[in-house]
Amino acid sequence: MLPLEKPQQVHRALAWQGEIPTYNIYTFGIAGERFFRELKEHGRFLGTRCPACHLLYVPPRIYCERCFASLEEWVEVPGRGTVFTFTLAYYDLDGRRLEHPDILALVRLEGAHGGVLHRLGEVEPGQVAIGMPVEAVLKPPQERRGSILDILYFRPTRR
Amino acid sequence: MPFRRVAVVGAGMTRFMRRALETPKELAFYATRMALDSCELTLKDIDGVILGSAPDAFDGVHRKGEYLIDGAGAFRKPVMRGYVGGGTGVWAVIQGWYHVASGLFDTVLVVCEEKMSSCYPHPQGAFNAIFDHTLERPLGTNLLWIFALEMHRYMATYGITERDIALVSVKNKRNGLDHPCSHVAGNITVDDVLQSEVMAWPVKRLDVSPTSDGAVALVMACEEKARRITHKPVWVEGIGWCLDTSYWTNRDLAYPVYVEKAARMAYKMAGIVDPRKQIDIVEPYDPFDYKELHHLEGLGFARRGEAPDLIASGVANRDGDLPVTPSGGLLGVGNPIAAAGLMKVAEIFWQLRGEAGKRQVPGKPRRGLAQAWGDLMQVGTVVVLGI
Repeated sequence: MLPLEKPQQVHRALAWQGEIPTYNIYTFGIAGERFFRELKEHGRFLGTRCPACHLLYVPPRIYCERCFASLEEWVEVPGRGTVFTFTLAYYDLDGRRLEHPDILALVRLEGAHGGVLHRLGEVEPGQVAIGMPVEAVLKPPQERRGSILDILYFRPTRR
Repeated sequence: MPFRRVAVVGAGMTRFMRRALETPKELAFYATRMALDSCELTLKDIDGVILGSAPDAFDGVHRKGEYLIDGAGAFRKPVMRGYVGGGTGVWAVIQGWYHVASGLFDTVLVVCEEKMSSCYPHPQGAFNAIFDHTLERPLGTNLLWIFALEMHRYMATYGITERDIALVSVKNKRNGLDHPCSHVAGNITVDDVLQSEVMAWPVKRLDVSPTSDGAVALVMACEEKARRITHKPVWVEGIGWCLDTSYWTNRDLAYPVYVEKAARMAYKMAGIVDPRKQIDIVEPYDPFDYKELHHLEGLGFARRGEAPDLIASGVANRDGDLPVTPSGGLLGVGNPIAAAGLMKVAEIFWQLRGEAGKRQVPGKPRRGLAQAWGDLMQVGTVVVLGI
């Protein structure tokens, strides 16, 4: 057998099937704890403002990555914004073809620096456009867990 | 010398703890901001950042170096991630040194962070995967019994007892009582260690450091900048590192020859011929109590098998002739892997500046050594600092 020959039938090569036996539990941190508690309990979005850099971080952070100031000014922001970019995903994480594509978007919240990645809903794929105004649709309060999935999706803003 | 002089000019660290609410980024921020504040610098003064962190699996982020950069002050700056397992904390300082010594940067931040508590059911699950997947992992390798095999070999080769070794844990946990960041300090006795639960004989619960969360940061600068930043620069006089074979099975085990080689490299650079006489304080890596002894021998502070005498005689106490681990070390302060190694360098920095508070070693120490160790138990990383 040549040294670089690949096994034609992988099950015929000797192997030990292993895994890295860990999973993780991620705390949200000082800023994240407050953000997600507010979302869960009151359905409100919070951000922190850097007075020196004039940036409003949503989701919030306890420090400004640009000037390293500790951020202490918390402000509420509306759960609406605009579609900054979007895609239509026709395959899921396991490689299965989706009949109806997931519409995934980066939503810039009003006045905020950054934004949130989320799904769009109550809209047909052909109707989505960059710059489209959207608003968050939350789960009912009793179903919220304190998670980014407490937001069901963003939908076109109803005026 | 073909390179520039480099100094440590600032340091900061978080408390070491079992479960931090903070994210890894937030932990890194606390330490980094404290290090910058300690020498009155801002991010604008920093040319580059060295990030040290051990396996991604602890924090559970598969690109941990990049993930941490905003908390480490590396926004839009050149960043290097260093990783040699447990040896990372001192390795990061070596990387910081050569980035400045070479003339590439004038100032660097060196930041090490670890959040082991996010890893379930236990970080041993991640450690299992550092072993050979074909020959060793099927046996359910974990660090406790691997260390136990090495400790037993060390004891048997030189006739060292569990009691001799337990003295290290007693000393370091006691020293840690004076460190404001301690996770597992305490006044314990040799009998407490001997009677603590056997985990993998001869390793007992109180022979082992904990898993911790925490971060440490240093600021390093070239000579010209260092002298403007502070009137108390602490110079990097020597650095060295070395890896033994990656086959755990093909090593001496009783003697860490790779630590000796790393130390010799650092000593040559620092002009040290007799470390016992020329070095005032040592912070050897002490994830297990016997490892402090192992490393003291590899570093040339005692002959093979004779490091226990340094501890038993009191020479290694904080007020002894050769204070060893005055910080409290991994056994007393805690062991957030990469951050623990960098904590040892920070301790030498504070000690040489006379800023170690209740931990201050008497007699105005002028030169200290910090050493870390890791990867598959085969890397030695050494830094010698002096004023």
